[in-house]
Amino acid sequence: MIGGVFMYNHKGEVLISRIYRDDIGRNAVDAFRVNVIHVRQQVRFPVVNIARTSFFYIKKSNIWIAVVTKENINAAMCFEFLNKAVEVMQSYFGKISEENIKNNFVLIYELLDEILDFGYPQNSDVGILKTYITQQGVKSQSKEETSQITNQVTGQIGWRREGIKYRRNELFLDVLEYVNLLMSPQGQVLSAHVAGKIVMKSYLSGMPECKFGINDKLTLDSKGKSSASGTESAGNLVGGSGKSSIAIDDIQFHQCVKLSKFESDHSISFIPPDGEFELMKYRTTKDINLPFRVIPLVKETGKGKMEVKVIVKSNFKSTLIGQKIEVRIPTPPNTCGVQLICIKGKAKYKASDNAIVWKIKRMGGMKESQLSAEIELMSNEKKKWTRPPISMSFEVPFAPSGFKVRYLKVFEPKLNYSDNETIKWVRYIGRSGLYETRC
Amino acid sequence: MTPPVKGDGMRGLSVFISDIRNCKSREAEIKRINKELANIRTKFKGDKTLDGYQKKKYVCKLLFIFLLGHDIDFGQKEAVNLLVSNKYTEKQIGYLFISVILNHESDLMRLIIQNIKNDLSSRNPIFITLALQCIANIGNREMADAFAQDIPKLLVSGDTLDTVKQSAALCLLKLIRTAPELMPTGEWTTRIIHLLNDQHLGVVTAACSLIDILVKRNPEEYKACVSLAVSRLSRIVTSTYTDFQDYTYYFVPAPWLSVKILRLLQNYPPPEDPSIKSRLNECLDTILQKAQEALKSKKLQHSNAKNAVLFEAINLIIHIDSEPNLLVKACNQLGNFLSHKDTNLRYLALESMCLLATSEFSHEAVKKHQETVINALKTERDISVRQRAVDLLYAMCDRTNAEEIVKEMLAYLETADYHIREEMVLKVAILAEKYAVDYTWYVDIMLNLIRIAGDYVSEEVWYRVIQIVVNRTDVQGYAAKTVFEALQAPACHENMVKVGGYILGEFGNLIAGDPRSSPLVQFELLHSKYHLCSPQTRCLLLSTYVKFINLFSEIKQQIQHVLKQENNLKSSDVEIQQRSVEYLQLSMIADADVLATVLEEMPSFPERESSILSSILQKKKPPMETIGQKEEKIEKTTTNVQNGHEAKLGQVQSIANVQPVDLIGLNSTPPSTKNHTPTAVTPLKSDQEALLDIFGGPVPAPVQSVPVSNNNLDSLFSDTFGVPTQVVSEVSQFNPILSIQDNHMQFIFTNVDTLFENEALKIFIKCEFKQNLARLTLTFLNKTNFVFQNFSVESTGNNDLVRVLPRALETNAISSQSELAQILNVECVNDFIECPQVLVQFSCEGTQSKFELNLPVFLNKFFDPVQMDSQTFFTRWKNLANPGQEQQKIFKANFPIDKDRNSQTLINFGWSSLTGIDPNPENFCGAGIIHTSTQQYGCLYRLEPNRQAQMYRLTIRSNKESISKRLVELLDNQF
Repeated sequence: MIGGVFMYNHKGEVLISRIYRDDIGRNAVDAFRVNVIHVRQQVRFPVVNIARTSFFYIKKSNIWIAVVTKENINAAMCFEFLNKAVEVMQSYFGKISEENIKNNFVLIYELLDEILDFGYPQNSDVGILKTYITQQGVKSQSKEETSQITNQVTGQIGWRREGIKYRRNELFLDVLEYVNLLMSPQGQVLSAHVAGKIVMKSYLSGMPECKFGINDKLTLDSKGKSSASGTESAGNLVGGSGKSSIAIDDIQFHQCVKLSKFESDHSISFIPPDGEFELMKYRTTKDINLPFRVIPLVKETGKGKMEVKVIVKSNFKSTLIGQKIEVRIPTPPNTCGVQLICIKGKAKYKASDNAIVWKIKRMGGMKESQLSAEIELMSNEKKKWTRPPISMSFEVPFAPSGFKVRYLKVFEPKLNYSDNETIKWVRYIGRSGLYETRC
Repeated sequence: MTPPVKGDGMRGLSVFISDIRNCKSREAEIKRINKELANIRTKFKGDKTLDGYQKKKYVCKLLFIFLLGHDIDFGQKEAVNLLVSNKYTEKQIGYLFISVILNHESDLMRLIIQNIKNDLSSRNPIFITLALQCIANIGNREMADAFAQDIPKLLVSGDTLDTVKQSAALCLLKLIRTAPELMPTGEWTTRIIHLLNDQHLGVVTAACSLIDILVKRNPEEYKACVSLAVSRLSRIVTSTYTDFQDYTYYFVPAPWLSVKILRLLQNYPPPEDPSIKSRLNECLDTILQKAQEALKSKKLQHSNAKNAVLFEAINLIIHIDSEPNLLVKACNQLGNFLSHKDTNLRYLALESMCLLATSEFSHEAVKKHQETVINALKTERDISVRQRAVDLLYAMCDRTNAEEIVKEMLAYLETADYHIREEMVLKVAILAEKYAVDYTWYVDIMLNLIRIAGDYVSEEVWYRVIQIVVNRTDVQGYAAKTVFEALQAPACHENMVKVGGYILGEFGNLIAGDPRSSPLVQFELLHSKYHLCSPQTRCLLLSTYVKFINLFSEIKQQIQHVLKQENNLKSSDVEIQQRSVEYLQLSMIADADVLATVLEEMPSFPERESSILSSILQKKKPPMETIGQKEEKIEKTTTNVQNGHEAKLGQVQSIANVQPVDLIGLNSTPPSTKNHTPTAVTPLKSDQEALLDIFGGPVPAPVQSVPVSNNNLDSLFSDTFGVPTQVVSEVSQFNPILSIQDNHMQFIFTNVDTLFENEALKIFIKCEFKQNLARLTLTFLNKTNFVFQNFSVESTGNNDLVRVLPRALETNAISSQSELAQILNVECVNDFIECPQVLVQFSCEGTQSKFELNLPVFLNKFFDPVQMDSQTFFTRWKNLANPGQEQQKIFKANFPIDKDRNSQTLINFGWSSLTGIDPNPENFCGAGIIHTSTQQYGCLYRLEPNRQAQMYRLTIRSNKESISKRLVELLDNQF
């Protein structure tokens, strides 16, 4: 199990050090600093083993957070824990920065004590933690309250406390997708996948039970089979539209989802925690609707000159609008001058990144835009330029995987408000992950 | 001289540097650098011409980025442009950039060299110095080629400034290191040497380093520097510290220069000119005396400088090694340091004393400090100092103090640091062996050694103990008794068990009379350790047990019981299993006679140098090496005791087990020379012929013709060998087929042939040489129908220069038509002329015959060929120019002059035949080293044929007159 947690600033000074087990000595703190933070060449692997001690670390802005152990533990669990710890801290004091950590170190130690016990991860749900770890001063709690907390922590539904009341029962559903792409210069897709997640904000009274339906092929197929084959029209509808169901490669749920039910009849039902949480994560690789296409044209015109032409085409319904579009065109390291012409947006040569950055604020569907650049080079025959790919970032208001929310039903048996009375909001956002085109 | 302008700070540069310093992360740093690089690129590419200041600034930035660890692949051109500038700062940055960044195969090199040339010929001394520094910093071949001419000129020219000369000397030094063949010769020599006389001490110091390396490459040419160096040294030494203002360092006049001169002098033997010699001795004496004076300052630098000079002076004294007076004084001075409070001084004192101890003059003086050294061993806190103390004790040990030193070292061993223990064990073992008068003392010491530091006793050490015990009959009983007692300790080291097992197995019978160590007690004692030992030791113990069966038949039952045990008979270790099975069978099947033969006591080991010595030599660091050289040269022995012990058993066993079948169907194998199995004595004749055929000797004459008369046989030997035996015969019916002397000379070039043959006896010889050692295998074939009895081969012992040691024979009878092999170990002690001889004796039918046999061992057999290039050859050739070292002979060709044949003859002679060395391709030259136990001799030769006159001129040079002479004799008339 986890032996200790350390946090360092960018210079390698220790900000937080919490040791849970005796097998981790003080020298482990220095070992990590010397062997990972201070080494000249960057260490690129997230797990480092120094003197039979394993270090699992992540870096958030300029802060290194490391989990240390002498045992052979589940690495995925460590990273899950690290990310969860970061999430908890962010919800308490905002951005993770050296200053924030220094100002909140008492709180951080308190949190670390709560979410890890003798190296075993405990409840890390923000909502629940906030009920008994508060930033206000010590408040004497009545007996009832303390017993409530104990019940809460040890009870069956650890993520939601009882007796929540809202005047307006409301819930928000965000489908967030990240498209990753690698395309050849000729426009052939070399690899593409979508990583998506569903984030939910619930403001519901009591202990509501929710049912969630999506256009997953598997769910729909099994439904189709289980419902009588006589309802042919329904079956035709699903099969015929083709795009209406998607194949999900991978799926992962929040702990509140009843997995046994999902196993038996592929229905997603859960009692949601109060406030914001991530309901599920998924991944798809088939039939991805790529929102943008980049067409590069690179010509080396004689000695010391290069011409680059880049065309960006938007490939979605013309009624929709893409936003925050940024194309990053790498330039050779011996560039000494760049002239740029573009009709739409703003383009700039950024010497510090060795790249041309082209920004377009908004762009409608089914349109195209062009940039041409002339690059002057310093004569240098020795090293051939490796031509790194052109990368792109954007945001579009639909799910590139074709993911659809079919329904979300809320049942609260004790308090009598019905499904129809709750107000539901659904939003789709498609963002770029690593969206690259070779040139 | 224009000092660097103040306030010439480049603002852009300092802003950039502070930006970089303020970067919070590596990524930020890289971003900033990329930005700066792009900026510099635009600036350099831009149409505007940059002025000198800007160029300098950007080049500086590039340099800074490079030093941060980023690749810089542009800006060289701008840097080279800076070289043209007339401003010191710009030129300096240009040179700096070039020396730091430029890689050697840059295409700008030519331009740079041109610029450097311009600067070298400039009037401004600062520019010249900058250029020289740049040359030295780059210091590649190209630079060496380009400036090999200019720099020596600068160095000796009258109108160069002193500082420039100084740089020039050091620059030349660097170039000579990269390109030694470019070193100035001829006219430059004297002028460079005379730099030692320069007024400016800085120049002298720099020149000293230069001359030192030149001297190392070509000592002869620079011999003249000795007298100059001595006079310079004496001027420094006799001066007071006020004389050299700039070169006095904490009241010591010119310490660096003094040290360099003293080192320089160590390249040469002591000066021959008595006046120089006495002057040098005076200097050294003064230095020693100055060391006695009170310190002029309490600062550490003062004593450091002073001691540096002192230690170098002592090194020189040791190097000269002929001034007892100085040596003793030096020794006393070092003695003072032994108890100095500075650890470094103590270390150095011990180290130097180690060298002093090897000199015959100061050995006694060193011995006076024995107490202090032993004390140092015990109380010293620094381990490296303790190690030096051990070295010194080892070096100062001789017959008089050996006992005490060994005792002290043994005592110290118990507390010694782990990683010097093994070395100490070796040292103790060597000293104990070398200076043992009383071998019981030796046995005691060695057993103690194993007891105290068993883990650190290497194989060689305990092998050696056994060798000595086996070879010395007088200590065997004592050794058996002592190991028996030692084994009684409850916990014994495994090495002790090994030694104990071996010795009791061999000599257990010597103490069996005492009821306290009766056979059964011995056996049970050994067997109590058996289960605690490694498989290797168990194997050895099993052999001991089977030897016990032979020695004490009364405990046969117990031993057989042990051999029958499951864990032996079915051991997972194959070796243990095999031994148990075989020994068990042997003990059950064989009768007492066979057992006695098979399990006979081990024969003495051939006397050879201890292998421990060689192992310590391999390990050792400089001080030990010098000691090693003074000791005898040793061959590393490969066979070890344990193998010997087993081998014999194994051999005999295979004969005993498979006897009848094998020996009859023996056609394909050569007959065994071993005669103790009764069936092995009559090998088939065809076999013998085949055997001889293999060796290339003639087929022996038909057996029938051998005469039956004893008298005849006797006379035969007396005639052939010219040594009278009792009966002088009237007629010698059988002329020897080959006369010994004729045949003898052919062995100069071959190692395997028939040495002698007549109707009665044939002697075949095979020689193997390795460095200073040789092994001769003499095979005697008895062609008569009689048995030669009491056969023996002994060394005549009248040749001290080549020692011959016959190995003990397994049998001393040669039956009719069979042969016997005698192995002789030969050691070349020093160069020799007379071939070694052995005395061969035997009796036939009651008549004694004896004759002396010349062994074909010549000086050239101990040659190792040496390959070298032309330059080294002629350098060495020139070095051996003293009268007597060269021997020459002109002789007529015996054979038509054939190049290939001559070359082959020379190679067969043992040295190398090198091609492409001599300017005349007809000539032959080459080199070789003669190994003797005392010394190695390098020999060089040139053979110049003259085709018209059909004559040869042979010139041989070596460092000893007698060697050159002998080699000429041997090679004479061979062409």
